[in-house]
Amino acid sequence: MTLDLPSTREEAWRWADLGGIAAAAALGAITRPDAQFLDLPGAKLLFVDGVLDDAASELHRVRVGPLTPGEHALGKRATTGWSLHLDEQAVAHPVQVVHVATGAENHLAAEIVLGADTSAQVVETFVGAGWSNRNTRIRLGKAARLMRAVRMTQAAGFVSLRDEAELGEGASLVGTMLAAGDHGVRIDAAITLAGEGGYAEYGGALLTRDRLRQECAVRVRHAQPNGQSHQLWRAVAADQSQASLAAAVEVARHAQKTDGEQSLRGLLLHRTATVNLKPELEIFADDVKCAHGATVGELDRRALFYMESRGIPAARAKALLTRAFVADAIDRIGDETVREAFAADADAWLESAL
Amino acid sequence: MLKIENLHAEIDGKEILKGLSLEVNAGEIHAIMGPNGAGKSTLGYVLGGRPGYEVTAGSVTFNGEDLLDKEPHERAAAGVFLGFQYPVEIPGVSNVQFLRESLNAQRASRGEKPLSGAEFLKIARAQADALGLQQDMLKRPVNVGFSGGEKKRNEMVQMGIIDPAFAILDETDSGLDIDALRIVGDGINRIMRQPTKAVLLITHYQRLLDYVQPDRVHVLADGRITRSGGPELAHELERQGYAEAAA
Repeated sequence: MTLDLPSTREEAWRWADLGGIAAAAALGAITRPDAQFLDLPGAKLLFVDGVLDDAASELHRVRVGPLTPGEHALGKRATTGWSLHLDEQAVAHPVQVVHVATGAENHLAAEIVLGADTSAQVVETFVGAGWSNRNTRIRLGKAARLMRAVRMTQAAGFVSLRDEAELGEGASLVGTMLAAGDHGVRIDAAITLAGEGGYAEYGGALLTRDRLRQECAVRVRHAQPNGQSHQLWRAVAADQSQASLAAAVEVARHAQKTDGEQSLRGLLLHRTATVNLKPELEIFADDVKCAHGATVGELDRRALFYMESRGIPAARAKALLTRAFVADAIDRIGDETVREAFAADADAWLESAL
Repeated sequence: MLKIENLHAEIDGKEILKGLSLEVNAGEIHAIMGPNGAGKSTLGYVLGGRPGYEVTAGSVTFNGEDLLDKEPHERAAAGVFLGFQYPVEIPGVSNVQFLRESLNAQRASRGEKPLSGAEFLKIARAQADALGLQQDMLKRPVNVGFSGGEKKRNEMVQMGIIDPAFAILDETDSGLDIDALRIVGDGINRIMRQPTKAVLLITHYQRLLDYVQPDRVHVLADGRITRSGGPELAHELERQGYAEAAA
């Protein structure tokens, strides 16, 4: 089977698990797993292998139908999907999307277009097994705000996300991803602050174990002045797994007063695991602030002993410290119901991995 | 209660404890004094079970059970509390969460019911008040941004909440001003001065002993107890220095 994906010899794909994608696409059919929506008002979309389950869904303002495929190697595969278009000053209820995979591969597109002064919240959940590939295009008008949270908890296979976002003047995008399943991951994103004073927060946590490989490859472009971007990623790697974080900031020549932050941190739960970090800065303007930090380490042994000496068993102490390590990546989620669901996913992963 | 016999321990192949013997009975407070590098902190860590400290000979029993055979958290559940000379900062874990986990883990291993959040907070608040630790510090990450004195008070708040049968307090007086020293001393007396409990106070200076009257004082030098006596020994050490008193 040929995947028609770039080779890992290309820099942007060097840590991609192409073998993992091929293996996921070849997974046999499984019984459809249960999928739960969170207790939130608004639209609920259930896609099974990329096909809408009408009976289980409530669309509200969302439309489902053909969408123009993208040009990206991952994004070009999806020709249908869901879309949310908000006119000026509208505030939508949250949109929940649950993606269930039952083997093989499925591709789905999404288009989120928010008019000026609008606000929307999107929560996506991945369950099941197979290769789930998503192409999400986001366009935010002047001062529009989008909060998007994606939890990947498939039992097997691979989840690939291609996100393309364009932020208008004063627009704000807060994207939080959590990989806490037993599958490979590629989060591939290109975010452009196309208007002045845009704000992008894009980050999350990858929790990986066994021989899985998970990665993010994110590029934020500051095309106009006074923009802010924060890329905060945490990677936790156990067993022989590999987590890779590649985050780039690009500041155009006239994008003065840009404030770009990258914080990439890896935690090795076992010495057989691997974390790769690649912070990248390309700055052509001269009056900018771009803070970046990249560290890989192990759990603090002194803290572990301190906790054990108070009566906490070693495995629980490790789980608490690891949970604290990923906390700043997922605690940014504003909605309490969503935040708690993410925290519960992370806890469940830690309970079984440690 | 605690019986140490001929304890030898090393770290990275270097022998620190060289045949230490000591017995502490219920209802007693013992002070271990000695010069820097004598092995005082090592004794605390060996009793607490810190990884990297290898016991090469001797035995330690606690209420008749082999203490060295237990994991650190099992020692805590058995009733042993180790107060740290340098309490560790744990970013991202709040004091309240840490202590509730600690207490409930200990209760679980003793077959007791876990405390609810409200029950726990009541105990935690009372202990924080008694030790002059501001309530909001309970919500903050463990020891992060605390001053040296606040960290030591926090150790005592933890001890008050956990309510152990036996406490090993390593240089609990360092970093404390006179007022804090009195508060911490009162705390040790209030929590631990009971007929069923005992304390091993590890200290370099005599000053904490003005507030916590020891029943026995031992001089630890070069990995062994070289002298033992009553409270007056602490004053003698303060006057004469360790070199002479230990000889």
